[in-house]
Amino acid sequence: MLTNYFKIAIAVLKRRKFFTFISLFGISITLTIIIVLTAFMDFLFSAAAPETKRDRSLYVNMLRLEHTTKSSRQTGPTSFYYMDHYVGSMKTPEKVAIFSMFMPTNTYINNKKLVINIKHTNAAYWAVEEYKFLEGKPYTPQQINNAEKVTVISEETKKQYFGDVPSVVGKFLETDNEQYRVIGVVNNVPVTMIYSYADIYLPYTLSKDNIKSTGFQGKFMGILLARSKDDLPAMQQEYQQMIKRIPLDSTMGYNKITGFADTYLAGFTRVFLGDESSTGVTKFLLIVGLVLFLFMLLPTINLVNINSSRIMERSSEIAVRKAFGASSGTLAIQFIVENLILTLLGGIIGVALSVIVLWLFNNSQLIPDAVLAINYKVLLATLGACLFFGLLSGVYPAWRMSRLQVVTALKSN
Amino acid sequence: MIRHLFKLIWNKKKQNFLLIVEMLVSFMVMFAVFTLLVYYYTNYKRPMGFVYENVWTVSYSNNRLDTKNEDTLAMYYESLKRTVEALPEVRAVSYVGSNSPFSANNSNNSTTVNNVQIMANTYQMDDDYARLVQLHMLSGRWFSKLDDGAKDKPIVINATLKEKAYGNKNAIGQRFEIEGKQVVIIGVVQDLKDKGDYVAPQYSHYKRVERNSYASTGRMLVAIRPEAGAAFESKLNKVLTGIMPTANVEIEHLTKKRIAKNSITLVPMIILLIVAGFLIVNVALGLFGVLWYNISRRKAEIGLRRAIGASGNNIVLQIVSETLVLASLSLLLGSFFAIQFPLLNIFDLPAGVYLTALVLSILFIYGLVIICAIYPGKQASNILPAVALHED
Repeated sequence: MLTNYFKIAIAVLKRRKFFTFISLFGISITLTIIIVLTAFMDFLFSAAAPETKRDRSLYVNMLRLEHTTKSSRQTGPTSFYYMDHYVGSMKTPEKVAIFSMFMPTNTYINNKKLVINIKHTNAAYWAVEEYKFLEGKPYTPQQINNAEKVTVISEETKKQYFGDVPSVVGKFLETDNEQYRVIGVVNNVPVTMIYSYADIYLPYTLSKDNIKSTGFQGKFMGILLARSKDDLPAMQQEYQQMIKRIPLDSTMGYNKITGFADTYLAGFTRVFLGDESSTGVTKFLLIVGLVLFLFMLLPTINLVNINSSRIMERSSEIAVRKAFGASSGTLAIQFIVENLILTLLGGIIGVALSVIVLWLFNNSQLIPDAVLAINYKVLLATLGACLFFGLLSGVYPAWRMSRLQVVTALKSN
Repeated sequence: MIRHLFKLIWNKKKQNFLLIVEMLVSFMVMFAVFTLLVYYYTNYKRPMGFVYENVWTVSYSNNRLDTKNEDTLAMYYESLKRTVEALPEVRAVSYVGSNSPFSANNSNNSTTVNNVQIMANTYQMDDDYARLVQLHMLSGRWFSKLDDGAKDKPIVINATLKEKAYGNKNAIGQRFEIEGKQVVIIGVVQDLKDKGDYVAPQYSHYKRVERNSYASTGRMLVAIRPEAGAAFESKLNKVLTGIMPTANVEIEHLTKKRIAKNSITLVPMIILLIVAGFLIVNVALGLFGVLWYNISRRKAEIGLRRAIGASGNNIVLQIVSETLVLASLSLLLGSFFAIQFPLLNIFDLPAGVYLTALVLSILFIYGLVIICAIYPGKQASNILPAVALHED
């Protein structure tokens, strides 16, 4: 039966090539845009090296200090002391990575400027994040305590600063009037991974920020790594209790501290869409869904329009089948299946087109080191979009077709 | 004629309903696109209001000094400024707050000026800023030594803020409060587009960075002479790190920062244009196909009209006007929704922007519909009455 439908569908598609072209054009380009978008979202939010442990990590990226009566408020990253002293004393996390936001500095080689983004980290950072070391190794707790001027650099920095040389471990790199000995080289990280991106990594003890200051705000963030995914709720609870227990006195200029240990996605959505009581993830997903729906609305209406026209063309065929006893349901199902075949065909073209678009994007270096790829998640989303598209644009014309009066349809020809 | 066309459309209302919906949605998409385009274009057309070529931002942090003494600090930063100014390649130097031109930082506060509640951008600039970026003062003057030791802090406001708070009246010498302190307006400056080319002018006021608050800024602007070579940047960096050995120093060019700032607006706009362009091509092809198909079903009717003397052009005109009536129906409905935006003041854009966008998108849809209808119309005008009538 299905093979029969398939044969008819192909025959119909061949009959009016112009209509087939319009339908396939609309479907494939719409799906291409959806695939590229999904691939981009997947690139932004799913775990990839070095942040492979995202599913059992919680992120602390800001702290809010408020004075409830003076209505003053400061929000920002935390101090090293807060991370080390308060967050570091928590029981549930297996490890706590502490690191500064990347900060640009300038260095000049032969009068050519090189912007070097610096990140200061503790030793646990290298265990929580899984960087691929091309040569050398990370700095040890010992080296951090001694405030040794050592650094781990990215592959790109190696190329920019030292040129094409096989090994740079042991060489010295100068920026901001300081000399650092290179002890390791790691793979590049795209700038969209704000927690792990940097050009050079330094022990936190070399930070020019005052790391001994007992204030709460500074330039540091943290990743709390749980032993397993199931520990995350317990860890969040402990974090809230830890914040509640922080002693505050009247000399501080604030009387309320708010902070959250969020999952990767929630860490971002809370900043833009969330507040104290909600992470904003639901809102974010709703907005994405709404935008996608609105975007697909126009191509869908267009397809419904074309389909309704085409179906009238086949009124004699339908009338004959009806006259010989085919029920409306059978005819409707046949038409929907035909339409699904059309959309799946469009989907295949769409996947081919998006492979080209993604290849162009990856090569353009619009976002350096970003590699967008089609994986099973992206393909699944595409298949879903295809089905949605095919059903939505097939149902109305099929319904109209099934209501066709046999007598009029046969007479008109 | 029009009545007749309406009748024809009404007779096939079911078929035409989908076409109307399609045109309506396309119209709404184009209205959104044109609103943004018109809005950005009007902002882009405005003068920059300042000079950013050959101006660099120098940011420094963690400049740890042994002293906490205010006077020593002021002297230190004054001598830093003088040293940089004395370099032969440098035209001018000014200490600025973090809200410097094209920077990602924003700082604003809510104040009441002349009984009008205003959310305004606050800037901190020193006396040399006006000369450095060549501001245009509309009235009054920029900060100078005259302001040393003034009882009320001097403040300069921009034209947009003056317009909102004082209208046509003179603002110079007026006072208002910022964070509980009285300030007096000494000048009105032409709007600066220092947030990017496509950003509308915002209410802004400028505070003076005095000699003893040089230490608190963390940023300076350096204007260099055009003839200074590329090597000067590393020289400047050496000079700065020599004076501030512990600090992180970063030099950025305003021309590059402007491009980065503009791309925040441009990149989403380009993506939107690509997507909208695709949607429109899609709709155009669909419209074209449906019209073409409809014509082929009306061969007998058209053949009859030809037989009783209608010319080929008459037929084209009929097909095009039928489609135009159809388009008008959806545009009427679409305009009703679109007009709500200026009426309810959604998104806070000027009404002129919406109205221009409305006119543009109506013209666009009519143009699109005519293009899509002409070819099927031509096709219809080629129908020979003898052949068409014979078929039936």
